[in-house]
Amino acid sequence: MSIHRKISPPKLANWFLRFYCRNEFLEEIEGDVFELFERRVEESPFKAKLLFNWDVLRFFRPSNIKQIKKSNSNIVNMTRNNFKIAARVLWKQKTNTALNIGSIAIGMACFILISLYVKQEVSFDKFHDNGDRIYRTWTEEDYGEGQRFFYTSSPLPLAPTLEANIPEVEATVLVDYNSFLVGEGESRINERVAIVSNNFFDVFTFKVLKGNETSPLGRNDIVLTESYALKYFGSEEPVGKALTVQLGGERLAYNVSAVIEDMPRNTGFQMNMIVSNEDMERFYNPQAMQAWFNIAPETFVLLKENTTEASVEAKFPEMINQALGDRVEEGQYVLGLQPLEDIHLNPDFPAASYPVGNPNYVYVLATIGLLVLIMACINYTTLSTGQSIRRAKEVGIRKVVGAQKGGLIWQYLSESILITACATLVGIALAFLLLPTFNHLAGTQIAIPIDVQSIAMYVGIILLVGIATGIYPAFVLSNLKLIAIIRGGNSGGRGAGIFRKSLVVFQLLLTIFLISGSLVMRQQLNHLQNSDVGYDKEAMVYLNMYAKEGANGLFDRVRSGFENGEIVKAKLEQYPEVTNLGASMHMFGSAGWTSMGFSDRQGQFRQFYLVLTDPYFLSGFEINLTSGRDFDPELEIDKRESIIINQAAATYFFGTEDPIGKKLPGDDFGSHTIIGVTEDFNFQSLHTEVEPLIISQNGEPILQGISDININSNPVPKVFFKYTGQNLLGVQDLLEKVWSETFPNEELAFDFVDRRLRLMYEDEARVNKIAGVATVISILIASFGLLGLTILVVNTKVKEIGIRKVLGASPLTILNILIRQFGLQLLIAFIVSIPITWYIMNQWLSDFAYRVNIGVVVFLVSGLLSFLLMLAVIAYHAMRASRINPVNALRVE
Amino acid sequence: MKGTYLGEFEELVLLTVGALYPEAYGVAVMDEIKKETGRVVNISAIHSAMRRLEDKGYVKSFMGGATNERGGRRKRYFELTNFGKKALDEAQSMRAKLYNRIPDISFGQS
Repeated sequence: MSIHRKISPPKLANWFLRFYCRNEFLEEIEGDVFELFERRVEESPFKAKLLFNWDVLRFFRPSNIKQIKKSNSNIVNMTRNNFKIAARVLWKQKTNTALNIGSIAIGMACFILISLYVKQEVSFDKFHDNGDRIYRTWTEEDYGEGQRFFYTSSPLPLAPTLEANIPEVEATVLVDYNSFLVGEGESRINERVAIVSNNFFDVFTFKVLKGNETSPLGRNDIVLTESYALKYFGSEEPVGKALTVQLGGERLAYNVSAVIEDMPRNTGFQMNMIVSNEDMERFYNPQAMQAWFNIAPETFVLLKENTTEASVEAKFPEMINQALGDRVEEGQYVLGLQPLEDIHLNPDFPAASYPVGNPNYVYVLATIGLLVLIMACINYTTLSTGQSIRRAKEVGIRKVVGAQKGGLIWQYLSESILITACATLVGIALAFLLLPTFNHLAGTQIAIPIDVQSIAMYVGIILLVGIATGIYPAFVLSNLKLIAIIRGGNSGGRGAGIFRKSLVVFQLLLTIFLISGSLVMRQQLNHLQNSDVGYDKEAMVYLNMYAKEGANGLFDRVRSGFENGEIVKAKLEQYPEVTNLGASMHMFGSAGWTSMGFSDRQGQFRQFYLVLTDPYFLSGFEINLTSGRDFDPELEIDKRESIIINQAAATYFFGTEDPIGKKLPGDDFGSHTIIGVTEDFNFQSLHTEVEPLIISQNGEPILQGISDININSNPVPKVFFKYTGQNLLGVQDLLEKVWSETFPNEELAFDFVDRRLRLMYEDEARVNKIAGVATVISILIASFGLLGLTILVVNTKVKEIGIRKVLGASPLTILNILIRQFGLQLLIAFIVSIPITWYIMNQWLSDFAYRVNIGVVVFLVSGLLSFLLMLAVIAYHAMRASRINPVNALRVE
Repeated sequence: MKGTYLGEFEELVLLTVGALYPEAYGVAVMDEIKKETGRVVNISAIHSAMRRLEDKGYVKSFMGGATNERGGRRKRYFELTNFGKKALDEAQSMRAKLYNRIPDISFGQS
């Protein structure tokens, strides 16, 4: 034995050994590891302890681990038995089980995918630590006479005023975006840069991966996301490197201070490059910094804990009064707060930079996902209720040997839970398989999360769906009358049959509804994309023209962009495949055309849109004039004073009078003359009516007369042309050539007008695609259900069919009988679906100013489609039943 | 027959148990294997193997008397059963039979 100080083995490991080890082995195992320890400790106590731990860990294997106390409770045993019986029954009826699992799995996969999309949409910016205390300001100015402005961006002086006057405000953050050229020399890229207050990362929770974590936004610091760090610096260490950003005329070297994780999909702050607005003069002109009526960034407010929105809003009027003084009257300027988490799905507030989705689409999709799942559940319910006659004997025997009703219900529920569990597993696997397809179709980037929370959710869904689908068959089976069963004969009541049939009707109804609904959606979408917008959009290409260096102020930059445009136009003209060349400040397919307002001579507030163009705008896009003339490129006066208005503006300003030769009905406009009126071409989206528009080559006379201007996006002049070449890919080569000759240092940005227009209806297209897929899936599920029911009916009617055949019925008659079974249900479903579809789809269509009418054709097509489908599903088994030899059916052994 | 197959490691342990009689217990078997074959085996593997052998009926075990070593904990001693001995014999004879059938040519140079 060792003489020196006794060293005992690690206590923790020993405790652990005693904790897990079975009592019958404990002594020998403990003895052996102790012996080894005592031997090793002479060499090195440290190593001995380490090895002791290791040995204990190695003994931790199933054969050594204590059995958890064995219970012999009846509930546990019966449940185990129930599941065993369920598995046997399911295995015995393979077709049925396959149909059930198949339909629930497909429904579940569809439900999982759609619910993930919905979850992404409803979880916008819900992950911030202080999320419940962050608000965005909104302002409503109302001066009467239709002069009402409602916006969610805010004037620059608002934030300091809030901090100074409202003690409950803990912090304010300004968030703004602008496009700057980033990089050096050849590789300058026009990037959307976020300009935020330097406490941005204190208020919002975004993870800083490396670099300065405490205050990454200094005066000359720029923060990049991971992917942008990769884009600009590749594998090099980005932190500490310099990045040049051109602000107006000035080139500034920014220092990369930190790299953050890429912004998650469910945040409204889609930023890749972030700079601080500490040095305000860099980004805003000095007047704007004082002006209360010049709106620029969004202001986010972090309130102190335990402060209500209302109590803060109550203090606003006084603050506004102080800040604005006599410039506004009581109630003309109202300031308010909107919770951050509410912004994304609340279309009641106008959008600023923070993207606002259409909540209706989210609800529509959520409903579709749920409907598909419900249809799958109905399959199970109808099929297993139908099966109840087959299992009646089993129930009878169970009752005879003393089964209680509760026990029987639990038994059948465990069957449905088992089947749902299998189906859910298959469904999850399917969802994983289909995820890339779904993302591609829906234009989303969702992933299926695997964490405790979602696993718990799946378990919850399994239980819920299992119980929901199983509860009715369970009650039907457990309610069977004992005597009736044992005596034989029909034991199911009439009620069960009717309930089952109405479930089938309901299911068919949903299918027909989804078919006609997605047909209507498709029609509307085609209508939007193919309807005559009033201008030529085919093969029209446009490219952005940047201002020359040194151009300051918005209109200076626009003018300078137009001048650059002339250079590019001159070069493009030489290509034979380029026609209809022109330039314009705004382009079709992008929202945010500049709008303006003024008070006319009657004091009525008037709003209109303005687009600055060159003389070839109308001819280039082949827009027709209803009266007057187009710009004449030769005439100097057209360059300065002539304006063209659209029909909507003519009606808006002049009613039925002829506007040619007249002026706009305002006092302060510079000298101008209306020379032409165009047809109403749809320059915005087809969601809205055509609004008054003024087309001019020179903005100044108009700008003099307006009292209000609303510029949503930075107007960048664009050169447009029609490409008549055979291959549209040729555009890129051509433009790159011209561009690199002209502006070697700038990035080329071009696009097709019709592509932009399609993008405007992206939301609709996405919903349509998902709905289309869901429709196909629902058809599949309904067919599965019908197939199962057909098999069931054929099986129960074997004798009837046999007798009919003996009496001379032809196979066709028998087919007829079977089809009639479901035909009536289909007919009821079809008729009921018409008003429902009509009502719901009209609701959806009311979102559009230009819409299709729901015609008879839609219903005819969906009716016919579902009938053919039913026929296809039923036909095989019906044919088989009608061919069967009656002897086989009728002989009783 | 399921469970009567004798694995390579099991055979080694079984042989060692037989060789160490009557002093075969966990640590001793481990030491012996290390000494004879150079294989370093974790004690837990020895325990598992011996327990498996016992289940198969090749060895039987009993708890020894209390000693002053290892904090007074008793050892579990193992010894070969007749069945175990037979299994070893069979393994041995099967091996010998096959070994004897190896023709000399296949060794090439020898």
